[in-house]
Amino acid sequence: MTFYFGDILPYLPILLKALWVSIYVTVAAFVAGSIIGVPLALAKAGPSRLLRTVSSTYIEVMRNTPLLVQLYLIYFGLGQVGLNFNPLWSALIGMTLNNSAYTAEIFRGGFAAVPAGLREAGSALGMSSVQTFRYVVLKPGLRAALPALTNQFIILFLYSSAASIISLNELTSALEDLNSETLRTLEVFTYGACLYYATSALIAAGSRVTEKVAFRW
Amino acid sequence: MFAEFGVANLRPLLDGAILTLYLVAMSGFFGTIIGLVFGMARVAPFAPVRWVAATYVNFIRGQPVLIILLFLYYAIPLMVPSATFARGPTAIIGLSVYAGAYIAEIVRGAIESVPRGQGEAASALGMGYLLRYRYVVLPQAMKVAVPPSIGFLISLVKASSLVSVINYVELTKAGAIVSNLNQEPLVTFLVVAALYFALSYPIALFGRWYERRLV
Repeated sequence: MTFYFGDILPYLPILLKALWVSIYVTVAAFVAGSIIGVPLALAKAGPSRLLRTVSSTYIEVMRNTPLLVQLYLIYFGLGQVGLNFNPLWSALIGMTLNNSAYTAEIFRGGFAAVPAGLREAGSALGMSSVQTFRYVVLKPGLRAALPALTNQFIILFLYSSAASIISLNELTSALEDLNSETLRTLEVFTYGACLYYATSALIAAGSRVTEKVAFRW
Repeated sequence: MFAEFGVANLRPLLDGAILTLYLVAMSGFFGTIIGLVFGMARVAPFAPVRWVAATYVNFIRGQPVLIILLFLYYAIPLMVPSATFARGPTAIIGLSVYAGAYIAEIVRGAIESVPRGQGEAASALGMGYLLRYRYVVLPQAMKVAVPPSIGFLISLVKASSLVSVINYVELTKAGAIVSNLNQEPLVTFLVVAALYFALSYPIALFGRWYERRLV
């Protein structure tokens, strides 16, 4: 059996375009999910019993069901009650909701890792709780959360491939199309594996640079 | 509108849940073996062994489960025709390869968390590599490795939903088939989600209980 890796090269622009779809869906869902994750984390660590129950129920349900099933529920399930989303929006909504539960837990852990003495020092200086959070707790909390956030970002990127099953044209779905078009199965999936690997390695490297640059004090 | 979903629909979903459980149990078992071997290889005294293990772990951790499964199911048989497997074994091999890389990372972290002095004390007592690991390093490392491994087991339950791409009829695929028949995707997938929750939440609770007991 001979393999023709060169035959796939002309299709590389198509694959890169599809990789771009994977990346921007991931970035959008990660940013939106992180924004939702902060109030969730605060609610879960907060004083209100009701908010604690609501946020931890949401987090547990999201974390204990597969993303694929969540995508099916949004893409097929919600369509049944009249809420029709195209594959892109279904993927964005599903990945955002899914990611928010994970980032909420990561933020909670990060802020819990900040020594209590820092908060006390903040209030001893006469800062309000909002000021203490903004000027004292936020930065070390984010730094403590950064490795876990990076991991979550990479995992979200890898799981964006599940959106191919609800027919979003991202990298995995482009690979499957290209496979049925060229029948160069091994070559096509090798290209795909390399693209996924290279992207997640770049994300990990980017995170190390961020850690050095943004959190130097 | 939701009248269509009945016991007749629940039965295939329960069968699917059992197959999901089977997939997770098998790939969790083989993944742990792969993870132990590669986790120890990551900190082996012989550098080329470390490189091989690092390549495997880093490469697989950069791959979506879907690509691993598609590669095994469609591409590998072209290269090695004798490595053509049915869907079930392919799913188990794929998930084991995936789990192995993540568990190897957990094992490596756990081994590194054991103080160096422990291993040095063992070799001062004249223990060789295997004895040292068997009686001194691994027992202490395993304690550290269990909570994150339980966390990963939950990821594995969820990752197993992706084997539906190679048409293995586990819980998610069963849900897709049932919802095609009854045209009730909302209820069907809510039941599927509830079944996943029922499989995975007890594992999460067990993990938390174990972690509390540890401290």
